[in-house]
Amino acid sequence: MTFLIQQTLLYAVPLMIVALAGVFAERSGIINLALEGIMIFGAFIGVLFVRIMQGSAWIGAAKAANAYGTLQLFGVLAMLVAAIFGALFSLLLSFASINLRADQTIGGTALNLMAPALALFFIRLIANQNTLYIDGDGPSWFMIKKAMFGYGRTEKMSWLGETFINKMYLATYICIILFIVLSILLYKTRFGLRLRACGENPQAADSLGINVYHMRYAGTTISGALAGMGGFVYALTTANCTSNGDVAGFGFLALAVMIFGNWKPLNIAGASLLFGLFKCIAAAYSSIDINGDGVYLLKEIGINENVYRMLPYVITLIVLAFTSKSSRAPKAEGIPYDKGQR
Amino acid sequence: MNQKEPLLQREGAKSVLASLLSIAIGLAFGALAILVVGLASRDLGAGSAWEGIRLIFGGLFSTGRGASGALTWGFNGQNIGNMLFRAMPLIMTGLSVAMAYKTGLFNIGAPGQYLMGTLASLAIALGIPSGALPKPLIWLLAFCGAILAGAIWGAIPGALKAFLNINEVIACIMTNWIAANFVTWMFSISNFKNVVENTKSSYIYKTTYGLVDGKYVSGAGIATSKMGLDKVFPGSQINGGILIAILFAIGVYVMMEKTTFGYELKACGSNRHAARYAGISDRRNIVLSMVIAGGLSAAGAGLYCLSGNTEFFWSTYQSLPAIGFNGIPVALLAVCNPIGVIFTAIFMSMLSISGLQLTNLTAYNEYITDVIIAVIVYLSAFSLVIKMWLGRRKDKVGAVDANAEPLVPKSEPKTVSEAKGGDEA
Amino acid sequence: MAALDNSQDYVIEMLHITKEFPGIKANDDITLQLRRGEIHALLGENGAGKSTLMSVLFGLYQPEQGEIRKNGERVLINNPNDATALGIGMVHQHFKLVEVFTVLDNIILGAETTGALGFLKKAEARKKVQALSEKYGLKVDLDAKVEDITVGMQQRVEILKMLYRDNEILIFDEPTAVLTPQEIEELMATMKEFAREGKSILFISHKLNEIMAVADRVSVLRKGKYVGTVNTADTNKQELSNMMVGRPVQLVVTKDDARPGEDVLRVEHFSVPSHVHKRNAVNDVSFTVRAGEIVCIAGIDGNGQTELVYGLSGMDKSNGGSVTLCGEDITHYSIHRRGGNMSHIPEDRHKHGLVLDFTLEQNLVLQRFREPQFQHAGFIDEGAVRGYAQRLIEQYDVRSGQGPVTKARSMSGGNQQKAIIAREVDRDKPLIIAVQPTRGLDVGAIEYIHSQLVAERDRGKAILLVSLELDEVMSLSDRILVMYEGEIVGELDPKKTNVQELGLYMAGAKREGKEALA
Repeated sequence: MTFLIQQTLLYAVPLMIVALAGVFAERSGIINLALEGIMIFGAFIGVLFVRIMQGSAWIGAAKAANAYGTLQLFGVLAMLVAAIFGALFSLLLSFASINLRADQTIGGTALNLMAPALALFFIRLIANQNTLYIDGDGPSWFMIKKAMFGYGRTEKMSWLGETFINKMYLATYICIILFIVLSILLYKTRFGLRLRACGENPQAADSLGINVYHMRYAGTTISGALAGMGGFVYALTTANCTSNGDVAGFGFLALAVMIFGNWKPLNIAGASLLFGLFKCIAAAYSSIDINGDGVYLLKEIGINENVYRMLPYVITLIVLAFTSKSSRAPKAEGIPYDKGQR
Repeated sequence: MNQKEPLLQREGAKSVLASLLSIAIGLAFGALAILVVGLASRDLGAGSAWEGIRLIFGGLFSTGRGASGALTWGFNGQNIGNMLFRAMPLIMTGLSVAMAYKTGLFNIGAPGQYLMGTLASLAIALGIPSGALPKPLIWLLAFCGAILAGAIWGAIPGALKAFLNINEVIACIMTNWIAANFVTWMFSISNFKNVVENTKSSYIYKTTYGLVDGKYVSGAGIATSKMGLDKVFPGSQINGGILIAILFAIGVYVMMEKTTFGYELKACGSNRHAARYAGISDRRNIVLSMVIAGGLSAAGAGLYCLSGNTEFFWSTYQSLPAIGFNGIPVALLAVCNPIGVIFTAIFMSMLSISGLQLTNLTAYNEYITDVIIAVIVYLSAFSLVIKMWLGRRKDKVGAVDANAEPLVPKSEPKTVSEAKGGDEA
Repeated sequence: MAALDNSQDYVIEMLHITKEFPGIKANDDITLQLRRGEIHALLGENGAGKSTLMSVLFGLYQPEQGEIRKNGERVLINNPNDATALGIGMVHQHFKLVEVFTVLDNIILGAETTGALGFLKKAEARKKVQALSEKYGLKVDLDAKVEDITVGMQQRVEILKMLYRDNEILIFDEPTAVLTPQEIEELMATMKEFAREGKSILFISHKLNEIMAVADRVSVLRKGKYVGTVNTADTNKQELSNMMVGRPVQLVVTKDDARPGEDVLRVEHFSVPSHVHKRNAVNDVSFTVRAGEIVCIAGIDGNGQTELVYGLSGMDKSNGGSVTLCGEDITHYSIHRRGGNMSHIPEDRHKHGLVLDFTLEQNLVLQRFREPQFQHAGFIDEGAVRGYAQRLIEQYDVRSGQGPVTKARSMSGGNQQKAIIAREVDRDKPLIIAVQPTRGLDVGAIEYIHSQLVAERDRGKAILLVSLELDEVMSLSDRILVMYEGEIVGELDPKKTNVQELGLYMAGAKREGKEALA
């Protein structure tokens, strides 16, 4: 059970945060198909940052001294760097779709092609192979361990501790907190109200003195930052802090989560847990012992793991089909706003 | 009345110019990246950057390095043959995207359709025992099976769009990943995994393997005829499939430009409202358009897989085939003209050959060509802006009808996103 | 112009405003002066320049000439923010509301009160809105979503938006177009209440009854020019109508008397639902069009004419009644099947009439490309299409840069319309529906199109003409049906009526059988 919950959380949290990234862009009126690309870019930058910094005296000393606090700070710093570069990368989309009123779908597709190409080009130059690694057991620097709380090697934490603290990542919880904070921002503040207005009826927002262009830039930039950070968190927690110009379609899965969650944070949290569970089952279904009683239930059911992988997309498509009449996609998304046309 | 317009005033000329401009900017960006990396890096330096830049532009005619270590240049039949071989599936996916785009649909589902084509063609080619049927017939069955599979896969987003007004881009993204998992699933439980060559277990047999008495035997299977092209381009992978792809391009051109069916499709694509007004069924045409687009993508997969010298990495659930996505730049660069697609596909393949030369001969790698392609796609997202800019420049040269309607209408029906909102279907 | 001196009387003055768009002077030296605490109506036909003038005042357009003063001082209004800062608020004809937001969120949007970190203080806002709502009797459900409330309530939300911002100059752009009679009465009462409090109101309308009922003064615009300002107490509907439309018919169409034959189109109790509100856009309409006559549907834009044509041509579904064409019940036919006996010159030539990216010749066979003469086994016979196009181009004098292969987009508006006329007339169907066939065209093109329609009539075609232009209605039609709020309110004989009477019908001031209310 502990394993199942941990793994599900590790898969669900990047999904959740990247789906929220999609929400911020779409609620401001810009379709961000480039989530996948920005994730790839963020993952690459984050891993590169860790790789460059790992040799520094500061980190070296921290590693030697097992200074958990410093190492955790290092991880947060890497997330921040990934977020900043994700935001910068997303400016390409904002510029094309807001200033040049370009086709947002093609613009997003371009970013999706560009990110892996750029990442791989540099990874090959830097590492002379197609995957960028960090030293040794890198990811474990960032892992929360029971030793930090004074537990010995053989001692066990309580069930809650074993499940939610030991061998988990701080990044996961930062993402959850960020998710909550940003959801509140979206619904309870002036900024959020105005942002949502721009995605629904930019003409109305404009007539009330709201600068639609600025709000859309804000939406896509937050989106880029979250997706970039989500990309790094994905790489850190599920790909051993490596980058290979690929996030295995997680960005597109996040898009599915966003649609399945009807562009609403609470539903998205639920949807990402569900889809995270599918991912977790698909990855390890033959070795999951749900109750700890030695019965491998999922293995005995015998459904192919690819079915679990496929399910999120199938469900999303079915949901789309059934809710197409009442779909709550932001009304003005994808339509370039032209101040001249009222 | 029939006075000739100045050349640059023509719509077609402007499109070609916009595409050439995009290519030029893309290549320049690639060259700049090489230069910056070269100058910034301790190991590379300006000399190697200069080599890299020359290879980007002329990699097709690279013949390696001479005894002195300097790059040598000349006619390279192998390069050209491989370029045409790579262009073969790209022409098909490019046609798929172009054809759908002309009818107002953005077919980002080409990768999924391509995968379904891969599955069908390989399953048929490897599933029919050697000798059960004549080899050309097996080839034909496998090829047609691929087309059918892709057509069905394209029909799903098409029908969702036509009847439920679901954005085809979203539906295509979902069907892409469903295809990726479905294909992996099917192959994972199949007998087609290569167990003869022991290092190749994650690959499916080449189609040159045939089923003889329950075992796969090399040489007993099928392969697309070379049609003598291997004599022209010795040492390359080329086969007759490139001719088939070109025939398809011509066929799509004829269909779109010369038939009533193409007329209907285009009318729906450029102005769905006017088509409805004229009594043309827009729903039927949307579904058919996606069916054909799906078939074309999958035909590309069929041609590629049935070549006999290609292997398929079957555990594909984490990634989608680049050939499918690259149909997008191929189509956009060609301004969705089926004949133009032939040339832009060849251009893209030339870039990838250049990329390979870059990898083989310098410290740089082939991914810079993907960056160039991405830049080109990015630019084509606002090609209308570029075209308008070109048009404005040219206004000073030739006079235009003062009463003419503006170049860009209020609602350009071709943008994908636009169709999402208000269409009462 | 003596009034200009004692400027303290006026809260807003728009002096000598001229606004040009390419090819048209939308406002030509217009002066409008608004007194404090008055309800000032702005009257004019479609295209008279009312909306343009208000857009100038609200900062959406910049005038080429003229100036705006507030309380006697010159002000510059570059955007809606400037207008709001000056206390100018506007209820737009098409509401500017975010449908999925609650009423309260819509009211505070753009003028939010916030606490620390930008958190919304909704409780405060709610109190203020509730107070306003009670004070003026503007009942709204603050927590309902805008998409779930009636159009009347949506308008109250728009009004509350202005009040919430403490605006003192209120512009109402055709506010009654979407309301029920009861809602209109409530609105009138509210407007009077505002005026009593010293707020100044600009009321844009072409409905004479409402203007007479509520306004203190009326300024009339006609074709972009200022006609005059009168006190409603000193005038009457007839005089206002004359000011609005009053001029002799300028267009002369030479035509003989109609010799109508059998019924070609018979419409009975026909209704079409609206996309905007819950009422029917076309409600229980019955009429006939006979062979050899031109029947004109007159009316002010937005009174159901568009929907009526959509219903007849099959582009919209009807929800009641029947349509008989050439003796055949076509109520449930597809667009394609209706086309068998019907030509249709559509209202919007860019949206429906043409595929702008197609060439002229492709557009000329938009309905006919499947006919055997234009295709063989699915392949288009380009020679036949070219020949046909060339014949039409010559016969109907369609001019374009490169003849048949000209892209429709690059043709002038007049020639685009000629191409559509050529296509529809040449299809040679018993019924021709022509919707605003001369909109936006120059005099030459208009004359040409009119003579074509008369010629078709004389060849025995039944013609249903929908027009907003009174000149066109008066000079072209053999019978006039006036549409008002989705119903046919009068049938007139152009020989026995005049534009003044027509104007009264169109503005809802007169109704066949009974005089309209008030």
